[in-house]
Amino acid sequence: MKKLISGIKLSIAATFVTSALMTTSALAADEVIQQSFFPYAQSTPSFEGLAKGMVIDKSNVAQFKDVIDPAFYVFIEKGFTSIVVGDTTSLALHQSYIDASTKGYSKVTLGEKVGEISGWEAGRPFPAEPSNDDPRAGEKLAWNYKYGYNWGDSAAIYPFYWKYRDMDSAKVERTIKFNFHFLNFKGRVNQQPTPEITPNPSDLFRSIYVQVLAPDDVRNTQLLIHRAADDLKRDNSWLYLGFQRRVRRLATGQVTDAFLGSDLMIEDFEGYNGRISDMNWEYKATRYMLMPFFNHNELTLDTETHSDSDGYQVVAFSGQGGCFPNITWQLRKVYEVEASPVNDSHPLSKRVHFMDAQTFTIPRTISYDRKGTMWKTFTIGQSDPDHHLPANKGSGVSIDDAFSMIDVQANHCTTGQFKGQVDPELTPPSMFSVQHLRATGS
Amino acid sequence: MPKNTQNIKCTMLKVALGFALLPVFQQSSFAEDVRVNTYIENATFFRKDVGLSKFRNTLQIEAAKSFKSSGSFSNVSLSGTFRLTYDGVYDLNDEDFGEKAGRAISIENVAAGPGATVLFGEGLAFPFTFDTANNPNEGMIVLGENLHATDGGVAMGVPVRPCDTDSRGCINGYLDKDMQELRSQELNDRLDFIRELYFDFDYNLDNGSIISTRLGKQQVIWGRTDLFRVLDVINPVDYSRNNIYDELEDIRIPMWILKTDFRMGATETFDDVNLQLIWNFDRYRPNDLGQCGQPNVIIDAGCFFRGMNSLWDNGGTVANFAGGVAATDFGPGQIGIRQANLPSWSLSNTQVGLKFEGVLGDLGFSLNALSYRSQMPSIRANIQAQNAFTGEVGLWPALIAFDINFPRLTMLGGSMDYYSQGIDTVFRVEASHTSGEEFGNTLREDLYSESDVVRYVLGADKSIFIPFLNDKTAFLFSGQIFGQHILDHEREERLLGTAGIPDWEENWTATLLIKGWWMNNRLSPQILAAHDVRASATAVSLSVEWIVNDNFKFTGGVNFKLGTGARKFDDCRTCNPWSPFTAAFPEHTPGSTLGLQGFEPLGRFQSGPIGMAQKEDELQFTLRYSF
Repeated sequence: MKKLISGIKLSIAATFVTSALMTTSALAADEVIQQSFFPYAQSTPSFEGLAKGMVIDKSNVAQFKDVIDPAFYVFIEKGFTSIVVGDTTSLALHQSYIDASTKGYSKVTLGEKVGEISGWEAGRPFPAEPSNDDPRAGEKLAWNYKYGYNWGDSAAIYPFYWKYRDMDSAKVERTIKFNFHFLNFKGRVNQQPTPEITPNPSDLFRSIYVQVLAPDDVRNTQLLIHRAADDLKRDNSWLYLGFQRRVRRLATGQVTDAFLGSDLMIEDFEGYNGRISDMNWEYKATRYMLMPFFNHNELTLDTETHSDSDGYQVVAFSGQGGCFPNITWQLRKVYEVEASPVNDSHPLSKRVHFMDAQTFTIPRTISYDRKGTMWKTFTIGQSDPDHHLPANKGSGVSIDDAFSMIDVQANHCTTGQFKGQVDPELTPPSMFSVQHLRATGS
Repeated sequence: MPKNTQNIKCTMLKVALGFALLPVFQQSSFAEDVRVNTYIENATFFRKDVGLSKFRNTLQIEAAKSFKSSGSFSNVSLSGTFRLTYDGVYDLNDEDFGEKAGRAISIENVAAGPGATVLFGEGLAFPFTFDTANNPNEGMIVLGENLHATDGGVAMGVPVRPCDTDSRGCINGYLDKDMQELRSQELNDRLDFIRELYFDFDYNLDNGSIISTRLGKQQVIWGRTDLFRVLDVINPVDYSRNNIYDELEDIRIPMWILKTDFRMGATETFDDVNLQLIWNFDRYRPNDLGQCGQPNVIIDAGCFFRGMNSLWDNGGTVANFAGGVAATDFGPGQIGIRQANLPSWSLSNTQVGLKFEGVLGDLGFSLNALSYRSQMPSIRANIQAQNAFTGEVGLWPALIAFDINFPRLTMLGGSMDYYSQGIDTVFRVEASHTSGEEFGNTLREDLYSESDVVRYVLGADKSIFIPFLNDKTAFLFSGQIFGQHILDHEREERLLGTAGIPDWEENWTATLLIKGWWMNNRLSPQILAAHDVRASATAVSLSVEWIVNDNFKFTGGVNFKLGTGARKFDDCRTCNPWSPFTAAFPEHTPGSTLGLQGFEPLGRFQSGPIGMAQKEDELQFTLRYSF
């Protein structure tokens, strides 16, 4: 850590010193907002020996242990993969989301119980820097993620390829082709209507709709998740099974099962897809770490998996078992947050999330089994929308562009290759109804 | 109405509806989105004490073409599923199921002593009897012999060869498959190789509501439960494929249907509201119960029907009949099944349904109404038949001479699912009230009576971790209880036993599914058990599904039954139809049963599909290659 602190430019260090001497409430709203949404405005972080274009592999990884999470460090140490370092770039979220955060600043408060919140309408609810003195700092960061601008007001991953891979043999066991659609019912800041889609009788916050396109044995499986604004309420979920041709309501406990046999639980989607109240949240530290942020159009892409009339290609994978995305990594400001399940029967003992401070996406997560042994490690590569599909330019959405969930105990992984599209036409509200599953099913 | 005329009318209706939709497609331009999925599959089953019972090879092609949205129309597509099968069991095991099946039989004749028999055609002859030249003793089995001995009851000879080899007992238009239709069931005059073919389109209203329409040959599924068909009764079912054990998707018989949903979406109260109209304008089809001589003949009904139809057409020997003890030779046109009265195509014979469905937070619900034809046969007596003693043709009370009918039914029902957050369990409920159903009833001179019926299923699904078996993935436990209540049930104790409706007045069947997953869900064993409470019969199916890769899937399993098999009930030998010749005593009222019991023919309704399949334990292997 000494190396890190010494490497960060003086101006940043000075900012932190200032921050430490002042209470958050004393900061002007604009200053807090600016600091939260533009952490690299004054300068970018650096680390001794780290430079753009360099490759971190097993020969030099020890030098960078402080800026690499422990799971990925082991992968590099074993020679499973390497990291290509890119420039740290600012990925500015949409101005309307930032404006909503400004408008709501200091109006949002936590309730007595974990999962209770009041005063939020839209935007980042707790933009102030977390403090180790705040016992609920981790929970606030979790809310920032939940109410983040993750996929904007609505978006589609259209299509989305998941490959199940044997990490030892590199054999691709399964390739599942999906469409994923996300829609915010509340907290909308950009697409009409704002801030809420009405009528909204169950006071939903968000919904996710998934449709499986291939292979044949799971084709036409559809999943619909309704997430209530009340975090203490469990999701309602429905599954349409093609071979049954009917909709089944899911017990939400099933969100911790392997989704369609992949290495992901439904709860893993986007980094964390459960309730705030399902976890105990602990803020561990603010760090500067290498994170998977890149410009999609500057990558060497996969020419085989997907082709379409747009000429779009998905992120390629390589490394041990083909489990690692061919991307570049940036040194970025990160909040390390530990989430341990409230429910003792949960298959995990904890997740350690590395939340990107600027976007509040969760590009890296390490999961531990009930015995506390490392089980899975999740990477979600983030592309700048201005260097992605033309339609995504200016969307202010950090585009989830590639994922890898590695089961380190089973030496198995699931990789994901995205065509993320921030286009409300692809994601109409009528898609997020139970009847849509039936109408679409065949 | 001649069948050809019916077909033309039905086809014209389908064409007219197709033209009605033409503007939709004229407004749509072709997109690139075409999908074709194909699989080939071999299903090989071995039955205990029989040997090969299935060697079915399937080619199925599913194709869909989407069209670009235009104006108020969206989600426009044309979809088709085409299936061809060849079941080699009729060639590879032709002594059990093909052209060489059956044999010369002997019929029980306890008049000569316990277990004594006579050759078919050598029973006690009525004055008006039959000629074995028209009904030779070959290619037959004794009704029920696979499950039980005759044991003093009635039995008859049942031809079992394909109908082009042996036409005896083949009921015109109903259970009359020739060898080609047995080998390849889809190659029939209903063009079943076109398994599904339908147009979809959405019409978007200005207020945000959507009218979704699917028109064509399709399956329409109502309800929320597995295995049982309480609300899921729009399409008939082919039980001859694999009894009750195949996925319903594979055994529903698609029909030409117009399905329109008025999707209102969310309202101030409901998360989702939908109103659905169903119009099944296809020519009527019943369930396929399996033809005698096929490996799967649910509750052995097909054998009863074939034996009875052969008896009507040709006459034959019936075990232990005269005096309840003597094998008796009946002449043609005296007892048996004369014909199946399949409803012809007419507007009034089409079937309509309405469903109102919604979601209210944790609760989902539907209200359903359907006016349809029973897909199960009803046998009605009181048809013109010959008195075996006098030769007179007339109507005889409680004479076991029947026509098969398919009455019109009205079903009202509903379903709910509810997620209980506290115990993380989903509950599913489905219930229906049906009026117009008919049941065999030996207390009535027509030997049937109508009854309203209430059916319901209560199901619960829960995922439970069993760490010592799998600490990463939970097991699915899914339990259901199915209940059936015959509201106008009739039974009486008569001199020699119980008579009336053989079906249980109240009965329940419980199912339990336990399913686990390993190897990223590519290896999935499961246990499925079903227990018929009143029949005291249980079926247990253990299977393992192994998805080798995206193309190959292998399923292996064993299916065995436990408990009680055949059961006895009043068989109407003592119904006294031809009084005074058939009267047991001078005061014996004509058409009034004394309740003498036997396994055949009505005991099957007490044994149910599980009890009647007690001798059908099987090893089942299926290999599918998809591409």
